[in-house]
Amino acid sequence: MQRTFPLVLVFVFGILGILPFIIPHPVVQNTNDFLLNVFLKILLAFALVLGLGSLLKVHMDKIKRKRENWQYSWVLIGTFIVTSIIGLFGGVDGSGILPTHIGSFSFDIWTIYNNVEVPLGATMFALLAFFMASAAYRAFRARSFEATLLLISAFIVMIGVLPLGNRISPYIPSFAQWIMDVPNVAGQRGIQFGVALGAMATALKIILGIERSWLGGGGS
Amino acid sequence: MNISLDPWVWIAALLTLAIFSFLYRDNPFYRFAEHMFVGVANGWAVTFYWHNVLMPTLFDPLFRQGQLLLILPFIAGMLYFTRFIPRVSWLVRIPIGISMGYYVGASIPATIQANIIKQAQGTILTTHNFQAWHAGSMGIVWSVILFVGVLCTLSYFYFSREHKGVLGLTSRVGIVFVMIGFGAAFGYTVIARISLLIGRLQFLLGPWLGIIE
Amino acid sequence: MKLFDALTKVDRRIIYIILLVVVTLPLIFPSAQSVRVMPPVEKFFNAVDSIPPDKALIVDFDYTPQDMPELEPMGIAILRHAFKKRIKVLAVSLYVQPLGLAVRALQQVTEEFNSVATSNADSIIYGRDYVFLGWQVGPVNAMLTMGESIARFYPVDYYGNRTDTLPLMREIKNYRNVGLVTSLSPSDIPKYWVAYAQNRFGVRVSSGITSVSASEFYPYLQTGQFSGMLVGMKGAAEYEEIVEQNLNVKGRRKASESLPSLTYAHLLIIAFIVIGNVGYFLSRRHK
Repeated sequence: MQRTFPLVLVFVFGILGILPFIIPHPVVQNTNDFLLNVFLKILLAFALVLGLGSLLKVHMDKIKRKRENWQYSWVLIGTFIVTSIIGLFGGVDGSGILPTHIGSFSFDIWTIYNNVEVPLGATMFALLAFFMASAAYRAFRARSFEATLLLISAFIVMIGVLPLGNRISPYIPSFAQWIMDVPNVAGQRGIQFGVALGAMATALKIILGIERSWLGGGGS
Repeated sequence: MNISLDPWVWIAALLTLAIFSFLYRDNPFYRFAEHMFVGVANGWAVTFYWHNVLMPTLFDPLFRQGQLLLILPFIAGMLYFTRFIPRVSWLVRIPIGISMGYYVGASIPATIQANIIKQAQGTILTTHNFQAWHAGSMGIVWSVILFVGVLCTLSYFYFSREHKGVLGLTSRVGIVFVMIGFGAAFGYTVIARISLLIGRLQFLLGPWLGIIE
Repeated sequence: MKLFDALTKVDRRIIYIILLVVVTLPLIFPSAQSVRVMPPVEKFFNAVDSIPPDKALIVDFDYTPQDMPELEPMGIAILRHAFKKRIKVLAVSLYVQPLGLAVRALQQVTEEFNSVATSNADSIIYGRDYVFLGWQVGPVNAMLTMGESIARFYPVDYYGNRTDTLPLMREIKNYRNVGLVTSLSPSDIPKYWVAYAQNRFGVRVSSGITSVSASEFYPYLQTGQFSGMLVGMKGAAEYEEIVEQNLNVKGRRKASESLPSLTYAHLLIIAFIVIGNVGYFLSRRHK
């Protein structure tokens, strides 16, 4: 029961997912409409709440057991609570029951987004430029024929994409474009055929109950 | 130089520098900023999930307008939290099964059409594909190269037979195409990463320090 | 030999400083660089340009702060194009994180146009010329439901107005009234638009993607599943160029301003790889 019932649900809802693509009958389409716009929307929203709950639980455990760097978990939980209160009670447009400005100093959800989340998120990924430069200097070696081919292709694309490439010769960007249009497409398409066929096979296995790893352990 | 007096710009700039400090070494400022990012991002998400989804789609219609059919998704959603109760944690499989089943099912016809049939149509040697290059007679040459490249790449990933003889030759050709593709991907990755760094420097030099416009 | 051995042992922080200087100086001392517009960008431009007057353009803002430098200039250039040609725009976000950036882009371009408008007809008016539908949970849900009814999935817009009361939405009901969907995304979302919206409902799709995804998206451009593609900061610069050239729309071209920094940084990376490999081969021969 603990494993059979979920497997039956996966099968039923899997079929319900496929049917609207092939049966235009109003009963099928209306059921699909209810699933997409009501049922699954609510389920997905609860899934986020679960994710948040798990995140908070992990960090509360870290604080309780005083694991390494447990002090920063307070930062996470504190900023989460403050931002949530400002967003939930201050409103999306700052017109909620909680006032979100003191004089001309505003701290509504938008200000926090633009001045905290945006710079933090953007800078996290900007670090990668430095790591890539370091890797280019220390690790990218043409140790084999294939690696040499990879580096030559990379150089042609890198120079072809730049305005400098066009200044040296208009054939360089055209050649780089050709590399993207022909050999790159050939290689990527071969890989993506494999990925698509594998994804389809896995999807069918999940719906038919052959693939059961998502059930996790336990139960009968 | 025209340094900003806006406190929020200073906060944004200091947080940016806190993240960049990781380049020297791991330090408390970086960790503080990193944890703050996760907290704020999730707080932002909670705001919109409540105002845009849970309130108008569930709680308002169910509790204020009396649409009792919504009890079903409400109960199914609440089953997610049984994950935290060991005795009944198996119930979490129900909402997972429902949502995963539907999306996996919907993906089958979509994947077949978009990622298999259309891609195969783009590979085969037809007049339409020759002309799509807008390269005159060279279009035929490019289409043949593409066709051969796709088949050779597929032969490289065929591991049920040893790569000897004809299969060995085609798989060697296939790996050439794959490596050219990966090289192109690497070249573009360099562009992507540098672009992100440029974006942050434009903020620090512009709105914060006022050195550039 | 000792020189190359020493060079390969350089502290990584010195490499970081060199990169920082090379990227910063061209920003402080800017220079103009001409941009050559390549065929994928031309296709994108033509796809937007050819939208009939009774159809809308859906712009899917799906970039986060992490991808903003590459994708935001694209979004701004596309909006300039659409507003100049009076193409109706429906803006959506399929995830919650990009919402703020979508509002930023829409506000910026609307202000640019309204600051030089001389009459109501010239201005960009919310509800008449564009609508921001905001975000609802479930990207696939959005793509599938909008094929039947856009207002069904977005009963209220981002600002809380009932969608079916907005003048633009009285004409734009579903994909049959949409000329093109353009998705600005760092992930596989443009492929989902093709798989779910295009395959089921036949709507044209184009994409603005980060450079990292370029390689894997080109097969979709080759088959015609994408009616054009903008790739990374360079693609954004090309689109800024083609919009300014063809439509005489002036505005800050952030992607184009970044090209000199991009150029010198590239040359630096190439130099790093060459130095590293020369040292490697020489030390191997020495052994």
